[in-house]
Amino acid sequence: MSLVLGQRAIPRDTTLWEWFTDPVTWTGSGGILVSLGDTVALCAAVIVASAILAVPVSAYLAHRRLAQVTSAWLVNIGRALPTFAVAALLVPISLRGGYGFEPWPIFIALTLLTVPPMFLSTYVAVKEVDEAAVNAARAMGFTERAVLLSVELPLASTVIFTGLRVAAVQVVATEPIRAFLGGDGLGRYIRDGIGQNNATLTVGGTFLIAALAGLTGITLTAIERLAKPYGVRRLRADRSSRPGETDEVDVTDVAEPAGSHAAAGRLR
Amino acid sequence: MILVTQRNPVLRWSYFGEQWDRIQAAIGEHLFLTLTPVAIGFILSAVLAGIGLRYRWTVGPITLFAAFLYTIPSVAFFGILRTTPLGLSIYTVLIPLTAFTILILVTNILDGFRAVPAPVREAADAMGLSPVRRLFTVEVPVAVPYMINGLRIATVTLVGLVAVAGIVGRGGLGNLIMEGIRRQFWTPLTIGALLSIVLAITLDLLFFLLGRWLTPWARTARS
Amino acid sequence: MLPVSGAGTGVAARPPIPACLSSPPVPLLPHETGTVIDQDLKTPAIRLRGVRKRFPGTTEDAVAALDLDVERGSIVALIGPSGCGKTTTLRMINRLIEPTAGRIEIEGDDVSNQPPVELRRGIGYVIQQVGLFPHRTIAANIATVPRSLGWDRSRVQERVRELAGVVGIDAQMLDRYPDELSGGQQQRVGVARALAADPPVLLMDEPFGAVDPIVRGRLQDELLELQNRLHKTIVLVTHDLDEAIKVADQVALLNVGGILEQYATPDELLRAPASEFVERFVGEDRSMRRLALATVGDLPFEAGPVVDVDADVTTGLAVIDDHRSDWLGLVEDETFLGWVPREQLVVGTELRQIERFLPAAQVAPSSTLRSALEIIMTSRTSVAVVNDAGRFRGTVTLERIRAGLAGDLDAPTEHAA
Repeated sequence: MSLVLGQRAIPRDTTLWEWFTDPVTWTGSGGILVSLGDTVALCAAVIVASAILAVPVSAYLAHRRLAQVTSAWLVNIGRALPTFAVAALLVPISLRGGYGFEPWPIFIALTLLTVPPMFLSTYVAVKEVDEAAVNAARAMGFTERAVLLSVELPLASTVIFTGLRVAAVQVVATEPIRAFLGGDGLGRYIRDGIGQNNATLTVGGTFLIAALAGLTGITLTAIERLAKPYGVRRLRADRSSRPGETDEVDVTDVAEPAGSHAAAGRLR
Repeated sequence: MILVTQRNPVLRWSYFGEQWDRIQAAIGEHLFLTLTPVAIGFILSAVLAGIGLRYRWTVGPITLFAAFLYTIPSVAFFGILRTTPLGLSIYTVLIPLTAFTILILVTNILDGFRAVPAPVREAADAMGLSPVRRLFTVEVPVAVPYMINGLRIATVTLVGLVAVAGIVGRGGLGNLIMEGIRRQFWTPLTIGALLSIVLAITLDLLFFLLGRWLTPWARTARS
Repeated sequence: MLPVSGAGTGVAARPPIPACLSSPPVPLLPHETGTVIDQDLKTPAIRLRGVRKRFPGTTEDAVAALDLDVERGSIVALIGPSGCGKTTTLRMINRLIEPTAGRIEIEGDDVSNQPPVELRRGIGYVIQQVGLFPHRTIAANIATVPRSLGWDRSRVQERVRELAGVVGIDAQMLDRYPDELSGGQQQRVGVARALAADPPVLLMDEPFGAVDPIVRGRLQDELLELQNRLHKTIVLVTHDLDEAIKVADQVALLNVGGILEQYATPDELLRAPASEFVERFVGEDRSMRRLALATVGDLPFEAGPVVDVDADVTTGLAVIDDHRSDWLGLVEDETFLGWVPREQLVVGTELRQIERFLPAAQVAPSSTLRSALEIIMTSRTSVAVVNDAGRFRGTVTLERIRAGLAGDLDAPTEHAA
């Protein structure tokens, strides 16, 4: 429980280079490898949980065109929730239940952060699937279930996955607040840097988080490219070749006019 | 072993009465730290969007730069400025908070202007509205819903980030949260967290209502 | 050929709309536009001379050296295939596009000498997508130009109400927003907005292209009715030949690259295509289109196999022999009484005594030749009686319609110019 100080005080005149090249920085109980493991494990758990919570329900509702207004309102309220405050609020509750500082409060708060945008992008993606394709499927005798599973979801998959990627990067960038709520992870170096008034630690920690966020984005983009069905890939290429249209445009809103997805509720 | 006990419960209601002045000050600071960067950010974003609309090629670089600022983890941004000569001054918080609004606001303002239908623009020209008049009587009003939406998102985002600024001791309600964590005294933490959430939802609603009030035409649309 | 229309060419060939003829023209607003009347009437309202447009980055002219005169108070339709520069031409008139070369005059003034903003306030503009301001009420939309011109509030209000009546917008709708209106209603508002400051010139770019055919037909009728009262100079872009024929006094048919193929009245365009291109464009059924264009009243009077009811049978027989008809028509005091068949015409009987068949086939002078044809085809007598509010005005046969199409149907209505 490293609440106030890190395990190891680093002399203030240590340079970034020295810090990064010191093996102790990497290994050991407070080392980067352990922190990285903590962070990756939590982020992965959050993304998987959010996807399970958001995508099936959203896709089903969108398929049936149900709860459009309710969904929009829930998404709006959901993305108004301040992640840090939610996590903090859950800490004493978790303690009272005997679950400790970690990881439930931060896990729930991050999940609440990512569910609304993922729900939204899935809903929009399924809803905007070319109506002609859906009607054609119905006309050929597809059951509603088959329409959803073998027409709507594949066609919407790119947009859904883009939403997932954006959410993942966001989670990685937000996860460091955990270090200020009684946890560890890569945020610990920033926390310790502030605590020891040591710029090297803070900047070093920032680099690590930025690198992980960047890597997450790149990896998921690569997976997205490889895993895409050929037809959808073609579709995608056509769409993105349109001037002024970027990935961003896809993850837009249900009920609101604007929708920079960047906006879609990043509350760290 | 840290415990939530009867003497240290999740929330002790009497704290409100005892510490009301502090709570009030924290709410005030939280509001100030939220709305000031949103206002500054809106002005900066309007200028940047104006440049982007005037010189199309700048849109890419502007967005890229804004996205870069946006991806800096908030704790890192605060932490780094904390170790600079800015130290514990208000700017350590205001600068990152303002920076975080730019991406949201610029993209929404640009979306708003792009949403003005070409025929509407053409009709305005054809009726002899000067470019300045066209901007203020046609394009800006049509873009208002987008701007409001950007302001909504920027505002709720900042309510959350101001709370995070509690880690450098300049975070309004975030200060209460951090105090609770440090002293393992749950009442201020719970109050700070709850009020942050209430504040975010309230401001979101207020901006939503402002948008409805400013755009009566959007309300009545048949579609 | 340079089809510059002379001042004498008719503004013709459009069926008059009786309701409008009886109502006096709506007075132009007393304030401005009085100038129009003072102008030398020989000056065309709009004159294009050698107007050329080449867009940057292209190697072909969008419009090539176009000469065109638009007579005051007439409707000119610009028509042609995509890429013929019709919209570009229109947009050069109010300087939404600047010509690469050439001169455009409105009432003799070179438009390039006038600041675009002021120029445009004096020119109404209607486009297919209407382009109503979504954030303003219908009333505020209509009031746009008067407000820009600084009219006082009460005058603007009065004008808005007046225009709503002119274009047929319910006064209750004035406080609504554009999104709440149907496409046809929106287009009416678009026309009202364009007319708001009473500009002498109106430019319309496929104004009825976005509404369904039934509404389109009605809006076209309303436009004609409006024009009968307001006498604007209207340039209208369309891709719909039927619309051009129905609405325009003169049709300018453009080929790709903005080359003017023919500039003529609709009937002339159909009767005498100036080139193979025009012939192909107006299509093989151009005779049928002319049938829809011309009316029974356009045909010269012909009595047909008809005699006065007091004539004797011998005269009657001579008349139907003359017309190679099997039926004889009887008239009394300009009233058509009916038909008698040839076998009933026995010398010695009185015509008045013979049993008559009531005239089944009747047309009015305002009926189109097309409807006359329809009626003749389905009547036993192969002859239609022209009945102008109960008064006999001659007869129409297939042969007469055919002969009419061979001639110039504009001629009889030339007086309208």
